[in-house]
Amino acid sequence: MSSPPPPLGNNGLLKNVHRFVAAVAVPLAAAALAAAARLLPQEATSGWLRDARPVHLFLAVFLPAAAATVYLLLRPRAVYLVDYACFRTAPNCRVPFSTFLEHAKQVPALNERSIRFMTKLLERSGLGEETCLPPAHHYIPTYKYCTLDAARGEVDLVVFGALDDLFAKTGLSPSAIDILVVNCSLFCPTPSFVDMIINRYKLRSDVRSVHLAGMGCSAGIVSVGLARSLLQVAPENSHALVVSTETITPNYYVGSERAMLLPNCLFRIGGAAALLSNSPSKARFRLKHVVRTLTGAQDSAYACVFQEEDDVGNVGINLSKDLMTIAGNALKANITAIGPLVLPASEQLMFAAAFIARKVLGGGRFRPYIPDFRTAFEHFCIHAGGRAVIDELQRSLGLSDEQVEASRMALHRFGNTSSSSLWYELAYIEAKGRMRRGDRVWMIGFGSGFKCNSAAWECIQPAANAEGPWATCIHRYPVDIPDVLKH
Amino acid sequence: MVYEQGEEVLPGAVHGHRLSTVVPSSVTGEVDYPLSDADLAFKLHYLRGVYYYPPGDVTRGITTKVIKDPMFPWLDDYFPVAGRVRRDAADVAAGEGGHPPRPYIKCNDCGVRIVEAKCDRDMAEWLRDEAPGRLSQLCYDKVLGPELFFSPLLYVQITNFKCGGLALGFSWAHLIGDVASAATCFNKWAQILSGKKPEPTVLTPENMPGHSPAGATAPRSVKQVGPIEDHWIVPAGRDMACYSFHVTEPTLKKLQQQAAVATGTFELVAALMWQTVAKIRGGVETVTVVKNDAAARSGRALANEMKVGYVEASGSSPAKADVAELAALLAKGVVDETAAVAAFPGDVLVYGGAHLTLVDMEQVDVYGLEIKGQRPVHVEYGMDGVGEEGAVLVQPDADGRGRTVTAVLPRDEIGSLRAALQDA
Repeated sequence: MSSPPPPLGNNGLLKNVHRFVAAVAVPLAAAALAAAARLLPQEATSGWLRDARPVHLFLAVFLPAAAATVYLLLRPRAVYLVDYACFRTAPNCRVPFSTFLEHAKQVPALNERSIRFMTKLLERSGLGEETCLPPAHHYIPTYKYCTLDAARGEVDLVVFGALDDLFAKTGLSPSAIDILVVNCSLFCPTPSFVDMIINRYKLRSDVRSVHLAGMGCSAGIVSVGLARSLLQVAPENSHALVVSTETITPNYYVGSERAMLLPNCLFRIGGAAALLSNSPSKARFRLKHVVRTLTGAQDSAYACVFQEEDDVGNVGINLSKDLMTIAGNALKANITAIGPLVLPASEQLMFAAAFIARKVLGGGRFRPYIPDFRTAFEHFCIHAGGRAVIDELQRSLGLSDEQVEASRMALHRFGNTSSSSLWYELAYIEAKGRMRRGDRVWMIGFGSGFKCNSAAWECIQPAANAEGPWATCIHRYPVDIPDVLKH
Repeated sequence: MVYEQGEEVLPGAVHGHRLSTVVPSSVTGEVDYPLSDADLAFKLHYLRGVYYYPPGDVTRGITTKVIKDPMFPWLDDYFPVAGRVRRDAADVAAGEGGHPPRPYIKCNDCGVRIVEAKCDRDMAEWLRDEAPGRLSQLCYDKVLGPELFFSPLLYVQITNFKCGGLALGFSWAHLIGDVASAATCFNKWAQILSGKKPEPTVLTPENMPGHSPAGATAPRSVKQVGPIEDHWIVPAGRDMACYSFHVTEPTLKKLQQQAAVATGTFELVAALMWQTVAKIRGGVETVTVVKNDAAARSGRALANEMKVGYVEASGSSPAKADVAELAALLAKGVVDETAAVAAFPGDVLVYGGAHLTLVDMEQVDVYGLEIKGQRPVHVEYGMDGVGEEGAVLVQPDADGRGRTVTAVLPRDEIGSLRAALQDA
């Protein structure tokens, strides 16, 4: 039994009434002001006011007022983050290094060389010994039990776990959800994730729902962008649920191609749910900008993270060797787009000056000026794609160790959780008590495509406590991550 | 006939094995667990213990998840059991002596193997059959090696019978602890399952290697084998099987009456078995005796502290001697060689190596493994890696008045044993 649909039509009508009233009231007020000016005693008003023609006076007041009103009415609505929750990994999903390697040895397709490669990878990956894999991956051999049922079971565990947490935190009833956006790249069952959520939480029959599949690790920001667009045309006080996750169960690569074994080693179970709204009541963050950069027009970027079959027919994700270069280029493009929106004037001038100097006086004489983004943001959430990604971004943006700490520690504790990693990093910063009112956060996601997406947030209300995925372990962090982990 | 993965499954056999792993819930860190000399003396033996739970509402609620979930915090306490064997690269003495470096346990949280299986028979029927070798169907029969560094120290097999009954089979490497340590370890898991907080697990003081005189000969209780490289099992020349049977209270009373003085139950039952095997085989003048002395234990949660010794039947052959006489010998005439066995540097077979081995499990609380208040209806402990001479384990039974005996003997002797016991 669904509740009757809200009076959407009424709200739309009301908006138009407001616009009509404003359209009529402003010129009337302007005319009244102009008339009143003429009626004032001669000493109070200056000469030109008296001499001016009534029409000119009217226009002089009406035009600016009208422009201001039009601007106020037509500007895009602000979108806010009410709260978010991440899936809390349970110890019964934990996979230490030694267990991972012992299980890998039982896979017939993996020979000695592959095992040695995976061992070296794990040791240098920046992952810790507490990362988790879904229940199906604890069986030997792994791939035998990765059924559709098991994948749905993982969704149950992760997505419903995060959503239960979120509904409890915000106190919102599921029937108040107007928009639902889910992104999960590599698992796309029928009925889709959004239908699973609608079925489980009994959402309304008119909820605007979208599932984004195949959009890679940066899809979290894509979902947030889409939810924002939908909220900006939705009635006042609408709520949007954004769920970001990656289902690991069906994606174990059972071959021996080295570039395709990387995801097996790095990807771990994780998911996050965020509640967005177009009303500032009870909101904790304001979404300021979403900037998406797609470099797929270049062949090398397009083929950089590619799902394909290996020589023997096993499906896996192939990561190309120039991944870091392509990521660096995508990042430069994204910075160029977001820079003008967030950087203070001083930095923008320096950047422009250096840019012109390079163009006019030749590229060799001047190095490109990297704007100091620490003037624009207090906190940085960089997609925990791997140690190399975080190192590269720290270098290119000139960030300190403390600024990339959230990313490194999220990678250590949770592994690469794909699109939800940014939310785990935000949860880290808040659990550490470092978030203050007015702090600005930059979320940078990378993913197949090749995409580089950014979201800029401003904090309205920091978290009251450390409840969340870090609750049981935040006191142990930050940890020193060795170059090569002994196991 | 059931077909599974293209293979035929014999009717009534245990099939559908699914393997998974359980690890400690928190990171142990870089910890090494040294093995004592006594531990290494028992490294070629494996305990196989099965606990049977009757069908019913309680047992139906014991799902795989219910069994696995308490294991994570349990392994936090017993983290050496979740580790793997490694060899000490810094063992200088090894290089000089020409034998492989000293093994130790690397506590790397690799975990314990869980096996889920099914059986299409009723549990009551299975128990009534008293088939020899049923133990090996309900306990995963792996050993340490040939890939020593990747062999789990403990396997737990969960077998579901058609009637709803449940069998828990534990395959425990004797290396990490004796049967008393093992039973306490499993009981602690059951306590966590029931929501009770078990007593703290004491793993100190740390094991220190002793200093043994080089070139000593093996003590009489045991047999030297090897040298063993990385596959820690000595294949017996003959096919060994475990046969479990019940010694009833009336039988015990009769044995007690025949004895002139008050004799312990273990001595009486062990003497009876000694005599029976001697009748079947002939000889068996000497037996090895392995006893568990609870009072003499150090309190360490994982330790090999059983007393090992031998007894010689003086004069008449055991086949013709009185059970009471043999019992008296077992009570008083044991030559203790525990320290010598531990100190001996070579690889040895303790159980069934030099002689028939009689194992005293009187004080081991096997029936304390209660799951959700449900006591096991039957428990039997056998062993793998037993030498050709065989072993006899005398254990408590369900109500404590009789005894359960598991004889680990060459398969062709078991028929004769059954016949002999029926006559007795």
